[in-house]
Amino acid sequence: MAFLEVTDLVKDFGGVVANNHISFQIDQGEIIGLIGPNGAGKTTLFNCIVGYHKPDSGKVIFKGKEITGFKPFMTNREGIGRTFQIMKVTAGMTVLENVMVGAFCRADDRYLAKVEAAAILGFMGLDSLKTYHLNELPIASQKKIGLARAIATQPELLMLDEVASGLNPKETEEMVDLLKKIHQEKKITLFLIEHVMEVVMPISQRVIVLDSGEKIAEGLPKEIVKNERVIKAYLGEKYAKSI
Amino acid sequence: MEKIKDALDFRDFSKPEKVGFAIFTLFLLAFPWLGAGSFVKAVAIQFLLFSLFGMGWNTIGGYGGQVELGKAQYVGIGAYTVALMMVWWKIPFWVSMPIGILIALGYSFIIGYPLFRLKGHYFAIATICTSLVLQDIFINWKLVGAAKGIELPIHEHPDFLYMQFKSDTFYFYFIMVLFYIAIFYMNWFRKSKLGYQLRMIKEDEEAAESLGIDARWCKIKAYSIASAFVAVGGGFLAVYNLYIDPYSVMDLDLSIKIALMAMLGGAGSMWGPIIGSAFLVPLDRFLGSWLGAHKGLIGVDFMIYSALIMIVSAYQPRGIWGIIEQFRKKGT
Repeated sequence: MAFLEVTDLVKDFGGVVANNHISFQIDQGEIIGLIGPNGAGKTTLFNCIVGYHKPDSGKVIFKGKEITGFKPFMTNREGIGRTFQIMKVTAGMTVLENVMVGAFCRADDRYLAKVEAAAILGFMGLDSLKTYHLNELPIASQKKIGLARAIATQPELLMLDEVASGLNPKETEEMVDLLKKIHQEKKITLFLIEHVMEVVMPISQRVIVLDSGEKIAEGLPKEIVKNERVIKAYLGEKYAKSI
Repeated sequence: MEKIKDALDFRDFSKPEKVGFAIFTLFLLAFPWLGAGSFVKAVAIQFLLFSLFGMGWNTIGGYGGQVELGKAQYVGIGAYTVALMMVWWKIPFWVSMPIGILIALGYSFIIGYPLFRLKGHYFAIATICTSLVLQDIFINWKLVGAAKGIELPIHEHPDFLYMQFKSDTFYFYFIMVLFYIAIFYMNWFRKSKLGYQLRMIKEDEEAAESLGIDARWCKIKAYSIASAFVAVGGGFLAVYNLYIDPYSVMDLDLSIKIALMAMLGGAGSMWGPIIGSAFLVPLDRFLGSWLGAHKGLIGVDFMIYSALIMIVSAYQPRGIWGIIEQFRKKGT
């Protein structure tokens, strides 16, 4: 049985078909990359799985349970965490409090939540930022906090929407290491939308490619970069040659 | 036990806050013996009452960030429950007030369920409407005295069961007790799971949902807590004034005042509603009586009142408490 199974998912925004009969499977413990040009329907696909959008048809099955049309907080309780491409930069809560809110998802007690949140911040190497507010931090730290917050809900599947966008090469490298660490030590299955090839290619075990709402390819990173359709739609000749 | 400990634990406040709070408490305890006249005492009681209302509003409006402008209907529910039960069945205050709270809770769930399908301005408008509708019902409902309102039977001797006293001092201490219960409750609330979740909803509702928070249900819960608070104040208002009508306890004016005071003081902070009420209630009263009665400048008090609100909200949206914190941050 697949861990996450999406069958024939369709999402139509009044004429614009954002996801057209998309099917794929993810096994537990995998790292899957989801790539495609802007407007390919990647974020829509995420939103349909997590529950921000209700798919027009098709099924989402997680750990053998159908979760199609569940609200976001319900899918989270089932064990799916997600981060956002653009985080709202807010001033009302400290970093520790942000992560505590995530921990409250599984713990009712404040002390427990605090211990849990502190542990996760330690794990992510964010200890020194505890008392800052999001608006006081650079984008790389904000992204990590978004990640820490999602991990605090103890997901089994973590869906990451462009965690590396806006980061410089050094920060990107750090992020890749962090993702590997999360995957290995927390045993969390990762499913990531990513534009930065330096992130997707080294860590993904499999890559799914979307273009104009259709799934055009799926396979190992090595195979994907040689795939004609993917090159034409997304990578460009240059990148293919450089590999 | 843990909850009680949290409620009584003020350790995470700064030293000036703790000292200020202690001096304020001593001042309140001594206040009736400082030789204030009846007008000043009445203003003090109003101040505590509006602080109580404001703290209730602060749960949903401040921590939850929902602009809620319909709290007057719950003042009305609390007041009418106490008054009617006393008039019809001679039920003592101590029984009718909890019943009033229960009715307010039940009603707020029924109203809150559809209300929180709405967001932002639409939510704010809808809260005003529900309150106005209930007021209109009471204005036309003969059984509950319609527009004439109801007078509570006056007892000749002070009566603890029905909370009737000759002297304002008793009322003052009574509302002070309620006020402190509210403070302890809020002190627990801001550290509770619901408190954290509401703050997250205020920050970013989408992200909150992704963290396993049922935003709508959290908001309904906070709305009901706020309603219960306000209903307690309503019950007090009935025995204090001994006369209620839909205009005095259910008016839109009251709803807006409750929200404004909390916002002016600083929504989403522990002391905000108290500070707001400490500013606006005396201002409202003194300006009203001084300018209105003595100088014949009726309405000028409202202008000053509104100007003050505009200045504060333009300067610091987080209210007076926000300004204080700003200065404190600069200082360190």
